[in-house]
Amino acid sequence: MDIGVLRRDGRTDPFFDGAAADRLVIKHCASCDHRLTPDAGDCPDCGTTELAWADASGAASLVTWTVTHGRPAADGTVPPPAFLALVELAEGPWLHARLDGVERAELREGLPLRAVFAHPDEGEPYMLFRPWTE
Amino acid sequence: MGDGTAIAGLGMTELGKVYGRSPRRLAADAVRLAAADAGLAPGELDGLIVSHGLGGSPGIELADALGMRDLRLLTQMNSFGATAGAMVAHAAMSVRSGAASAVACVFADAPLKPKQSSGAAYHRDAREWYGFGGMTAALGLRSVNSFYALAAQRHMARYGTTSEQLGAIAVATREWATRNPLAQMRDPITLEDHQNSRWVAEPLHLLDCCLVSNGAIAVIVTSAERARDLARPPVHLWGWGQGHPGLRKERGSEWGLTTGAVASGATAMKMAGVTPSDVTVCELYDCYTYTVLVSLEDYGFCAKGEGGAFAASGALGPGGSLPTNTGGGQLSAYYMWGMTPLSEAVIQARGDGGERQAPSNDVVLVSGNGGILDHHSTLIVSPHPKGA
Ligand SMILES: [Zn+2]
Repeated sequence: MDIGVLRRDGRTDPFFDGAAADRLVIKHCASCDHRLTPDAGDCPDCGTTELAWADASGAASLVTWTVTHGRPAADGTVPPPAFLALVELAEGPWLHARLDGVERAELREGLPLRAVFAHPDEGEPYMLFRPWTE
Repeated sequence: MGDGTAIAGLGMTELGKVYGRSPRRLAADAVRLAAADAGLAPGELDGLIVSHGLGGSPGIELADALGMRDLRLLTQMNSFGATAGAMVAHAAMSVRSGAASAVACVFADAPLKPKQSSGAAYHRDAREWYGFGGMTAALGLRSVNSFYALAAQRHMARYGTTSEQLGAIAVATREWATRNPLAQMRDPITLEDHQNSRWVAEPLHLLDCCLVSNGAIAVIVTSAERARDLARPPVHLWGWGQGHPGLRKERGSEWGLTTGAVASGATAMKMAGVTPSDVTVCELYDCYTYTVLVSLEDYGFCAKGEGGAFAASGALGPGGSLPTNTGGGQLSAYYMWGMTPLSEAVIQARGDGGERQAPSNDVVLVSGNGGILDHHSTLIVSPHPKGA
């Protein structure tokens, strides 16, 4: 499946600023020390809308996954499958994600992953997760 | 018994590849059919609840289209796939309180267009996506299929559930559909057919996914007392419930493994005074085979993690110990959101199932499921008055 062109939305721009520098930036509730996804608008524990941006380590682990298959083209060629997933950041929040450089056989709950950033010619950078060993 | 409520009428338009009628027109047709089924003139209805659907579903202007006057209840409701149960419960409470006396609840949708694939009907596609929220879609998570696949895969990884066990649900459901003249898919399938059907989003095959259908279905809710004097046998409402677990997606979450059926089922069964072992027929929301599997667990028909083995035991099909989705469900009959299980429950409770009538219809459980396992509703219905 083709990766679409990504544009800023004015609300999550710091995430893309971080991505441009290959850093994963997420939201942080200072009063609860709760780490949240980059698009979180408020803290579900204390309700504050005063969330700060904070660097995340980029370390993550696989929660669950799916492999999607596009429809064959008119000439019969089949697009390569896409490995899509829910991943858990080391800081706690889960993100919907696309995996890169994985084999079906290695997919398992808890598989260590790390965020990497792709910088396409057109549009904003996007984040992928790759298997990671120390 | 004075406060009992019942479903007194059922109206179903043609379902499936039905073109040329707008959702509003289909909805109006279904309400008229349901009123006629009950033996009521449309003017005798004093309440109308319209299910909010996806794009193009009718709103409360449907009352004008039907020429309804002096209504005492008119509203649109939305709990996604849990809406049918929520509508019926609201109608029953309105009747019980005296706020209204005969309430139509209707769902209509017409996502299918001529010369367009079923997949395109609900598919999101765009070239550009916006913000962090758009990144998920930009990267390829664009279809509900993918999100249910994530949930099903998690269950597989946690409990050893297999694709063949999901396939057993598809096969049993199709076996019921072969006996339903209204079903869109009536050719029997085998487990091998299921396994050979194309991947939609692993671990879901095409035959793990529901159909797409045009049409409308309506029911009439009134008091049990009044229903006794109407045209068709009353389908008594014994209990109802909802469950919206609001699971967070963060460390420790049980997302994908458990649903609102836990709370919804417990509430409805307690109100009805029954336990899972009393239920004789299940009509479960089956947008995917996995939804059936996880609902069976969460209702307590088997232990958590054993839904796959339970389905593979043959319990769900004709002759099984828990006849489930006896009309062919959304997988094989027609996809009318929560009206698919509800309409079949009415048919079974009335004993109108013909070739597919379950051997005992004493206690019928109906489920609704919305979002990605986010919202749940349950109804318990019976041919018998509650407590009789
Ligand atoms: Zn907080």
